[in-house]
Amino acid sequence: MDYLTTILLLAVSTALINNMVLHYFVGICPFIGVSRRVDTAFGMGAAVTFVVAIASALSWALTRFVLAPGAPLSSWAAARLGYAGAPDLSVLNYIVYIFVIAWAVQLVEMYVRKFFPALYKAFGVFLPLITTNCLILFVCLEVMKHVPSAAGAPEPWGLDLTLVYAISAGLGFLIAIVIMAGIREELDLCDVPAPLRGPGITLLVAGILALAFLGFTGMDAGLARWLKAPAADAVPAAPAEGAQP
Amino acid sequence: MSKAADGPTPLERFIGGILPENPTYRQILGMCPTLAVTNTMEGAMTMAGAVAFVLVCANVMISLIRPLLKPHLRILVFTLTIAAFVTIADRLLAAFMYDMSKQLGPYIPLIIVNCIIIARCEICAARQGPWTALNDALGQSLGFALGLASIASIREILGFGTWFGKWLGWRVIPELPAAQWSNWVIMVLPPGAFLTLGLLMGAVNWAQHRRAARRPA
Amino acid sequence: MMKAIQQAWLVIVLSLVFGAALAGVQLTLQPRIEANKLADALNQIPQLVPGATQGAAAEVAGRRVFRALDDAGKLVGWVVPAAGQGFADKLELLVGVNADASAITGLYVLDQKETPGLGDNITRAEWRAQFAGKSLAQPLQTVKTAPAAAQDIQAVTGATISSWSVVGIVNEQLARFRKELRHE
Repeated sequence: MDYLTTILLLAVSTALINNMVLHYFVGICPFIGVSRRVDTAFGMGAAVTFVVAIASALSWALTRFVLAPGAPLSSWAAARLGYAGAPDLSVLNYIVYIFVIAWAVQLVEMYVRKFFPALYKAFGVFLPLITTNCLILFVCLEVMKHVPSAAGAPEPWGLDLTLVYAISAGLGFLIAIVIMAGIREELDLCDVPAPLRGPGITLLVAGILALAFLGFTGMDAGLARWLKAPAADAVPAAPAEGAQP
Repeated sequence: MSKAADGPTPLERFIGGILPENPTYRQILGMCPTLAVTNTMEGAMTMAGAVAFVLVCANVMISLIRPLLKPHLRILVFTLTIAAFVTIADRLLAAFMYDMSKQLGPYIPLIIVNCIIIARCEICAARQGPWTALNDALGQSLGFALGLASIASIREILGFGTWFGKWLGWRVIPELPAAQWSNWVIMVLPPGAFLTLGLLMGAVNWAQHRRAARRPA
Repeated sequence: MMKAIQQAWLVIVLSLVFGAALAGVQLTLQPRIEANKLADALNQIPQLVPGATQGAAAEVAGRRVFRALDDAGKLVGWVVPAAGQGFADKLELLVGVNADASAITGLYVLDQKETPGLGDNITRAEWRAQFAGKSLAQPLQTVKTAPAAAQDIQAVTGATISSWSVVGIVNEQLARFRKELRHE
């Protein structure tokens, strides 16, 4: 029960409350660039979710077993080479992650080209550009902070929580980009002032969306209390947070 | 020494990066840090400094090895170079500016996927000499810093009432009772970032349009 | 294989060069970075535990804590890092307790991302001073009006959930620490 609670809280928090696009500002480039039509937006969201799941799983595994301070495989290699002390390859983290992401994007690109050729054409140059999508690297970095290691990560995540986090992040991106595409399809029929056409109005709409998503803040604290509700709670029920935006 | 057909001169590259080809307002690149770190001027300037460091180093290095670049592997080489320099910048910040490093958090490593740097490597460094590449990097960095500063100034002044509050402690809007002025907290939260950038972009486009209209056809 | 190396030799050479450079950077800067991380907590020890002038990192039942020592090196208290969910994001606290963990001697907020101007008033010294002297035998309670009972902490106006989160983290983590200390 506790495990399911943790997973649920992590998923809701990542997808809605701390939404990748509207709270952490990652994945803005495709968010502005590929959000003109709902079907391409949905496809992009799905592709990003796929890539981020693969990339984060691989990053977790590589960090856990090779790169983290005192990781098993590098310790074994260091011992064989007669090197004393715990090897710490974490300085190579960023380079390894970006290459893992590039490889994952290649993989998804081949898959989409084979099974969804129309979507592949619709994406054009934006599919390989997923490599430069901040969201995936951001997720890998967040996973890096939670990899169990000798340095003692405060809340270590196994592969299961890593995948929950990554897929929720991708789904949060998908939700945001599909909402934006729906709004932009309507905006196409409106008379947007010339200076704001294109990225200007998209950013303003994103601002209003971010305002709406701000309403989710604090929900995870409340959800956590409700799901873990102990009978004799020494702390009184938290009243409504009226003044906080 | 450079032939006229070789591309823009170093000076043109430098001037071009500041306003005409400003990465934030004209090229619309590097949006993620622009929105994320601009709630204070200190964060914005630290990020601008880090990007400048990586851009200059990467540009010069790529320019020096450009005869050796194979066409289909060049993006890989760019990425490797940029990732290495970003790691160095990240470690330097953590060692010498620890508070800033904590505040900027994951956004420093995200410089690796900052489109500005890869774009400059592709457009300039892979094709022209180190001196030109250096000027290009400096110009683009200045333009980026200008873009960040414009957004950060508005957000910090309206949201906190200070400008460079942490480093210099300058108050722009004096502390007034709540009935006269209370900080626009929304400006330092995510919606404020989007709204500020959107409106500023509209303003820049509008000014550009007026200048173009006033010029004789 | 040879053809691949011919094509990719630049990538391989660059990888080796950068790998060496990064290893050098790691070796020179890592000690400084570690010192920075520790300094965050060590600098707070004199304010958190009266009578302490220095601190030393220690481990109690797998939890990283700091021993607060006076000039002579005698133990005068503990500084316990505690973390948990706040209103907007994670909260990281440093709680100072006396030598037998029976009372709180101070509280410091290491890291918070609460609403500026509202939730982040939990970092203000006047609010944190409420925690000094509170006994750990009973859990603390958040109240919205002036504190009446000994275990009451008045919440920040307009930031009830942030205040209540801090109290919750202190209660939970310090209760656990007390138990761990007793078993040591």
